[in-house]
Amino acid sequence: MAHAVETSILNKIRDLSRIPDWVAGFAAEQGLSDDVVFGVNVALDEMLSNIIKYGYADDAIHEIRVRLSVAGQVVVAEIEDDGEPFDPCAAAPVNVDAPLEDRKVGGLGIHIVRTLCTEVGYARVNGRNRLVMKMLLEPNTRKGIHGTQ
Amino acid sequence: MELSERKDNDVTVLEVVGRVDSVTAPDLGDRLTSILATPPRRVLIDFGKLEYISSAGFRVLFLASKQAGESGGRLALCGLSAKALELFSISGFLKLFTIAPTRAEGVAALR
Repeated sequence: MAHAVETSILNKIRDLSRIPDWVAGFAAEQGLSDDVVFGVNVALDEMLSNIIKYGYADDAIHEIRVRLSVAGQVVVAEIEDDGEPFDPCAAAPVNVDAPLEDRKVGGLGIHIVRTLCTEVGYARVNGRNRLVMKMLLEPNTRKGIHGTQ
Repeated sequence: MELSERKDNDVTVLEVVGRVDSVTAPDLGDRLTSILATPPRRVLIDFGKLEYISSAGFRVLFLASKQAGESGGRLALCGLSAKALELFSISGFLKLFTIAPTRAEGVAALR
């Protein structure tokens, strides 16, 4: 049976500091590996910081909801916010092979998330952004990194 | 994230313990800026006790690398786990930094 936990943070970068401890609690319950926890924390930091920095046209306080669940061999991280519509799946790819001096760092976070996740889904529902990120529980079996045949 | 510094000959070894993300990366950036502002501007960042690093961390490493390049300083990294190296690779940063397996090799690479 799928097990899920939910929390919410305010649209302040400092509030993001609560997320890794929350992830660690869920990971301990579910027996997630350090590598999976690494990926989940990175994915949440990338997308939540994007929402906090660029998602709101006003200076008001907003609530961002975060949910984690495990279903089969997949860990699912979901984020829901009431910011401006933003579909990270539609963002232009970054050229990570460009020389250092020509690199623009913006966009790198979304590139990392798209690479770490097996699936990233976005929907705008009732004036809210809903992002769903799925990662395999055994990332090393993905893409034959360890030569799984 | 906690930072601790020690000197190994001319090299400042900066050990990073914990999480490098949107919340903590600015502190790492400030520390690197400060180390690289003073000769001999040699810094080895030891990531042996890193929990994870996100693009906010890559951004400060990128800026520190630029600062080093412009001021005759040098920057190297050591102690990265396989997962951390995967993130460096995904981000295209693997080939942009001197990366040593151990602290001793990192110090040697900077001397």
